[in-house]
Amino acid sequence: MTNKNKKTIAGIGGPAAPSKQSKQKSEDSQDYSSFKTVLFYCMLIVFLPVITFFLMKAVVLDGFFEMSEVKVNIFSAVGAVVSLHIALGLYIYRAYFGAASSKAPKED
Amino acid sequence: MSSEVSSDNPIYGPFFGVMGAASAIIFSALGAAYGTAKSGTGIAAMSVMRPELIMKSIIPVVMAGIIAIYGLVVAVLIAGALEEPSKYTLFRGFIHLGAGLSVGFSGLAAGFAIGIVGDAGVRGTAQQPRLFVGMILILIFAEVLGLYGLIVAIYLYTK
Repeated sequence: MTNKNKKTIAGIGGPAAPSKQSKQKSEDSQDYSSFKTVLFYCMLIVFLPVITFFLMKAVVLDGFFEMSEVKVNIFSAVGAVVSLHIALGLYIYRAYFGAASSKAPKED
Repeated sequence: MSSEVSSDNPIYGPFFGVMGAASAIIFSALGAAYGTAKSGTGIAAMSVMRPELIMKSIIPVVMAGIIAIYGLVVAVLIAGALEEPSKYTLFRGFIHLGAGLSVGFSGLAAGFAIGIVGDAGVRGTAQQPRLFVGMILILIFAEVLGLYGLIVAIYLYTK
C-alpha cells in the first residue's frame, strides 16, 4: 500500500516532492515538541512560586501555630522565590543540554 | 473616632503602605515589560534565520517575567499587612513604602538591563552559539539586581 502511494507521488511531483513534504512534517513535529516543552516550563515558572507561596502559608500556619504572622509570610515568600529559581535552573539546564540532543536526529 | 486616631496612628498612615504595595508591582511590571519587549524584538529578528534556537532564546523573556514575580511577592506581603488606621502606625507605613520602592526600582533597573542584554545576546547567539554561556551569565547578574531589591524589601518588612 505504502509502496503504491510512493510511486504515484513520485510520478506526479518528481523525486523532490516527497522529501520536501516529509521534511516539512518533521519540522512541524519538532516545532510542536519544542513548543510543548517551552509551554510546560513557562507554566512551571509562572505558577509554581504562586502555589508554593499560598501552600506554604496554609501549611506552616496550620502546622506551627506559635509562629507569628510576619514569620509565616517571610518563610512563604522565601520558599516561593527559591522554588522559582529551581524552576528557572531546570529550564536553563534543559535549554542548554536538551537543545543539543534534539539537534542530533536532525543531522541524520 | 478622634480617640483612636493619634499622632502615631494618623488617618493617612495606611496611605504609605498602599503606595508601597502599588509601587512594588507597578515599577517591577514596568521593568519586566521593557525587558520582555526589548528581548522579544531580538528573538523575532533572530528566529527568521535560526528558528531552532527559539528554546534557548526565550530565556531573557522568562527572566524578565521573574522580575515581575519579585514585585508580586512583596506587594502581596505588604497588602496582607495593611490594616485600619487605628491599628496601623505611621512607622509601619513608612517601612512598607520603603520596601515597595526598593523592590520596585530594583526591578525596573534589572528589567532594563535584561531587555538590552537579551536583545543583543540573542542576536549574537544566532551567529556565534558559544556566546550563549556568556549571555546567560550576564542575564543572571542582571537578574540578581532585582533579587537584591527583594532581599532589602523583605528585610525592611520584618522590622
